[in-house]
Amino acid sequence: MSQEASHDDGHHNLMVNNKKLIMWLFLGSDCMFFGTLISTHLIYRKLYPNEFEPTQLFSLELTSFSTFILLMSSFLMALSVSAMHKGQMKSFRRNVVGVIFFGLIFLGCQVYEFTHFAHEGLLVSTGTFGSTFYLMTGTHGVHVAIGIFWLISMLFYSQSGKMEAHKNAIDVEVAGLYWHFVDIVWIVIFTVVYLIEFIA
Amino acid sequence: MTYLLKRFRNLSCLVSAALTLLFLSGCNLNTRMSTFTVKGPVAETQLDLFMLTVWVTGFIFLSVGGFYAYVVIRFRETKDSTDALPAQGHGNPLIEIGLIGASVLLLVIIAVPTMKGIWYTHDVPDNEASLMGSWYDNEASSVSISEESASEPFIIRAIGYRWWWEFEYPQLGISTANEMVIPAGRPIHIELRSVDVIHSFWLPRIAGKVDLIPGRSNSMWIQAGDSIEAWENKSAFTGTDLEKEQAYKTYLEEEIHDYYYGMCAEYCGASHARMGFRAHVVKDSEFYQWIDKQLAGHQAPGEMDWETWYEAYDNSPETLTGDINEGLKLFMGRAKCATCHVVQGNPRAVGVAGPNLTNLADRHSIAAGWLNHQTPEKTVDTEKQYENFVKWIAKTDEVKPGNLMWKAKGAGIGELDPLLNEEEIRQLSHYLQSLK
Amino acid sequence: MSTKITDIPSTLQQSDLNQLKPEKSDIGLTRPDHSKNVFIDWLTTVDHKKIGLMYGTLALFFLLVGGVEALVIRTQLAVPENNLVSAQMYNQLFTMHGTTMIFLAIMPLNAAFFNFLVPLQIGARDVAFPRINAFSLWSFVAGALVINFGWLLQALEAFGLFSASGPTAGMNDFVPAMGWFGYAPLTSKEFTGAGTDFWIMGLQILGVASISASFNFIVTIINMRAPGLKMMRLPVFTWMTLIVSLLIIFAFPAITIALAQLMFDRVFGTNFFSVAGGGQPILWQHLFWIFGHPEVYILVLPAMGIVSEVLPTFSKKPLFGYSIVVFSGAVIGFLGFAVWSHHMFTTGLGKIATAAFSLLTMAIAVPTGVKIFNWVGTLWGGRVRFQAPMIFALGFVWMFMMGGFSGIMHSSAPADAQQQDSYFVIAHFHYVAIGGILLAIISGIYYWLPKMIGKMWQGNLNLWVAVMTVVGLNITFFPMHFLGLLGMPRRYHTYLSGFGWETYNMVCTIGSYILGLGVALLVVDIILCFRSKKPAGNDPWDARTLEWATSSPPKVYNFAKTPIVNARDALWADKYGPESRKLGAMDEAHGIHMPSQSWMPLIASLGFIPLGLGLSLMQAGVPYAGYAAIFGLVTITFGISLWAIEGPGGYHLHPKEAVEEA
Repeated sequence: MSQEASHDDGHHNLMVNNKKLIMWLFLGSDCMFFGTLISTHLIYRKLYPNEFEPTQLFSLELTSFSTFILLMSSFLMALSVSAMHKGQMKSFRRNVVGVIFFGLIFLGCQVYEFTHFAHEGLLVSTGTFGSTFYLMTGTHGVHVAIGIFWLISMLFYSQSGKMEAHKNAIDVEVAGLYWHFVDIVWIVIFTVVYLIEFIA
Repeated sequence: MTYLLKRFRNLSCLVSAALTLLFLSGCNLNTRMSTFTVKGPVAETQLDLFMLTVWVTGFIFLSVGGFYAYVVIRFRETKDSTDALPAQGHGNPLIEIGLIGASVLLLVIIAVPTMKGIWYTHDVPDNEASLMGSWYDNEASSVSISEESASEPFIIRAIGYRWWWEFEYPQLGISTANEMVIPAGRPIHIELRSVDVIHSFWLPRIAGKVDLIPGRSNSMWIQAGDSIEAWENKSAFTGTDLEKEQAYKTYLEEEIHDYYYGMCAEYCGASHARMGFRAHVVKDSEFYQWIDKQLAGHQAPGEMDWETWYEAYDNSPETLTGDINEGLKLFMGRAKCATCHVVQGNPRAVGVAGPNLTNLADRHSIAAGWLNHQTPEKTVDTEKQYENFVKWIAKTDEVKPGNLMWKAKGAGIGELDPLLNEEEIRQLSHYLQSLK
Repeated sequence: MSTKITDIPSTLQQSDLNQLKPEKSDIGLTRPDHSKNVFIDWLTTVDHKKIGLMYGTLALFFLLVGGVEALVIRTQLAVPENNLVSAQMYNQLFTMHGTTMIFLAIMPLNAAFFNFLVPLQIGARDVAFPRINAFSLWSFVAGALVINFGWLLQALEAFGLFSASGPTAGMNDFVPAMGWFGYAPLTSKEFTGAGTDFWIMGLQILGVASISASFNFIVTIINMRAPGLKMMRLPVFTWMTLIVSLLIIFAFPAITIALAQLMFDRVFGTNFFSVAGGGQPILWQHLFWIFGHPEVYILVLPAMGIVSEVLPTFSKKPLFGYSIVVFSGAVIGFLGFAVWSHHMFTTGLGKIATAAFSLLTMAIAVPTGVKIFNWVGTLWGGRVRFQAPMIFALGFVWMFMMGGFSGIMHSSAPADAQQQDSYFVIAHFHYVAIGGILLAIISGIYYWLPKMIGKMWQGNLNLWVAVMTVVGLNITFFPMHFLGLLGMPRRYHTYLSGFGWETYNMVCTIGSYILGLGVALLVVDIILCFRSKKPAGNDPWDARTLEWATSSPPKVYNFAKTPIVNARDALWADKYGPESRKLGAMDEAHGIHMPSQSWMPLIASLGFIPLGLGLSLMQAGVPYAGYAAIFGLVTITFGISLWAIEGPGGYHLHPKEAVEEA
């Protein structure tokens, strides 16, 4: 499942694989994407503290649950990367299925949350809170969805038998980097968007 | 090689010749919106800073640029050049550090006055003389200001519309459009707001620009001409207090009282280029007169009071005759002008979507400065004014493409069916000319 | 060691290539390698040199388009109250002029140099991800088409072949007309039409192209350097590429998000910038300039890199203070993120913020000045040869300095209150953009085109280009300083007489024609060079860096043997340095591994066209446009999936000289 390979002759000045390096760079860039989204949210939140009262809408229980689920998926992701390195295809597949399953649960929670919020009157066009909240969490959801799509493709590819530890471990590792990053971003969002509201 | 060098020399000659020519031909710096011939402390601070940067960069230009030219010429390859490689020097840290130090020093020369300038130009100076109460004479006009107003600076609220300006005087309860009248030598706090997109208030000879941003209120301060203290310091005047006051008055009279031109400086859509305004700087007594006139507004044609006029208008409009009456009837009726425009006094002309038309005929231009009828002597050219009214009413979409008066979802005069005919436009223009 | 990569005797013959049969990819399709069909060969190419040439050609085309737009603008302004074009048309022209020049001309021209030169300068066979490189190129093409799509609609409408009625009734203003920095709320649905949507989507696609290309270059420069080519031995141009790429990946997200927010405002009624819903239009300005100021350095640093290559070559001396030039480039890049608000001095930031940004802006003048000192230092004691690239590079230093001076004038915030949004600013950034960037790019073209196509310039047309551009530039833009100081605001489609602006405007217009003629002559000269019979040879300028060590044009594999670098200015050291500094060559008996060509990057990129146009038209209320967007998204996903599954492939070449010497 190689996204891109060069005429890679194994010679890297930095001793880091090209694919891994490009993923790190992407994640660095992605930090700026989420940084912009989260700061937009916080700026408007500070500017209009009374525009909207999110604590009445947020369900800390549900979001904590989905955060926990996402954390667990990261754990399984780490296991599957390790399995791939050892060439244990079966264990790899089992763990990836777990990651996908947990990822889908997370997305399900988000879909439920969105419909619930919309039902309660928080729409994208509801002041600035609705706008920033949905665009930010929505972008994160899209990241999760892309990750799930990626892992599903990888799962199918591994069924074809063409996946080999020495060749594809790096691909799984790169996917793992992405997945962990998406997880970390969620922890940041969970903290500064959800938790903080309950502290104040 | 020499051929190339000769060409290169020719090139630089050509450039300098062209630039010299330009300077000789067009270099009149005393123009309507010049930032060189400034008439107020804010613009003056800004000009001083600009000139400082010019001197500093000019110095760098001459030294670095001169050295550069010297190096290029001295080390050019000539026929005599040997084939041996030049010394392969890689640099010299001492020179680098020295030059960095020198650059920093030059920047500090700019930075310090810049900091002072930022603080000075930001808002009305915090002193007694800046308060409205220190100069406003409650006896001189029909408006006496409140205690609160007396303890704050004189405020004008500039509101940007696509593509014209509203100037509100909240402490005096009056309002005008596109041509503001301000007293000379008085600090004024300008509140800047916009109702649609971003505009920018730029009155170059009095102050640099500040943006009008929808959803927030910006501010700046302006002052046309120096205060008496500043003027005294600058002119080093010696004499009795009375002489001093007289000389100061003459200074204002000769150098400050004038029309100043401003324009919108932030792109705001199709007719951005046609969003000018003017500041008429006057002496205090004229300012008070203007307040009175603005407040009193207009009576119905023929010195009639509005109640009588409207009674006639509602019941037997045919009794109201003459161009001005016909024009006013159109203004209130078919042409729907009153839907959007205020004419002070007229109880039914209270629309707020368009410019306030009180004393419209006193203004020296219409259409936000685009159609001008000022004579060189700074009076109103009535013939030209009439032409301008006709042009504006008949071709408002050509004069200011995209403007609201032409197409306003059913209320524009471009949507009338039939459009105003020549006769009607003539009558309306006559009515507008009577607004003075 | 006698195996020099500098003198490659023979090359792989065409017959050798034909013996290689294209293999099947992992999805069972035949890879489009070694195609004799020129179109297939170029459309599926992953060769950084071909991609670079395509970038260059397209960018030159858009440079001419933007230039023609500029000439119409200047003609309109030649005399007061001119009616050559309508207000709306004028606004569209200046918007598209700015957008085109920045995103479709200068950035891809820089990308052309990055692509062609960076692998050669670092002794690599190609970039790290050749297919991503192709994807960047074709995404750029897609973005350019989406942004310019409005002109097509407008032309069709003008000829009566299209009307905004019936299903397209909601459409108006097909071409963007809100200025290249699109300040909210002028970009809201209330004030502008479909043009804004094309602009948003086009810029998003161009952003994808730029960001993906930048990832590629960073990885390439960090990981693919030839043995011995330490970071502090990198050519300065490659250094600047690295810094610019880092700037792109950290600056573009800000505008991507801002554009997404704007798109949501327009399509889904969110309130990011809509005042009625509590949005703050000023937020757009912050987000835009957090991108926009680094963007200035994204444009200018490659120019500085080019000049830092040309000046040493033509004065036969190493760059003065190499490490300081590199370091100051990095400092400029870093500080570039900290000065965005100097574009907003007039927006009422408050005293403290204004003061801080004023000082930071002054600070950024220091590393820029350092570069100029070092360039002059490079010339000192050298043997300055006035050949075409050098003439432009010398002109660059001079004109860029002029742009820098007016930049220092802006840094004083109170003085800037008079200059902001006036023609003074126009003068400033055109001295930087034309006097700086364009002259450096022309210098780069004169310097490297012989390497790119293997043919040498002939005749003296380059002198005319130099005279015309430099003279035209000065006649056009020097008077604009005065125009601005005499109160003429920018973006005015016309003006009244009586403000003292008439003469200046006329002179500017005349100058712009001279400048336009200069650029036209450049194009003629380039065409002449293509038809030139004179071979360039490996090293026509007696140059210093690695790209001149291989043949002109370089073979598909760049270097028959991977060079081993033992010095900064590797080739120069090889030619004139001591034995220990000369180039070595890797022993590569197993042959050269070449990446396979692929259709997938092209297919994935083309999906952006229906996606971009579909979303734009959907906003305008065109029915079924959403399906086009979905089709585009599916195409992209499809392309990328097949791309992943088909595998990188590749084949081995055994150039004769490498085999012989092994």
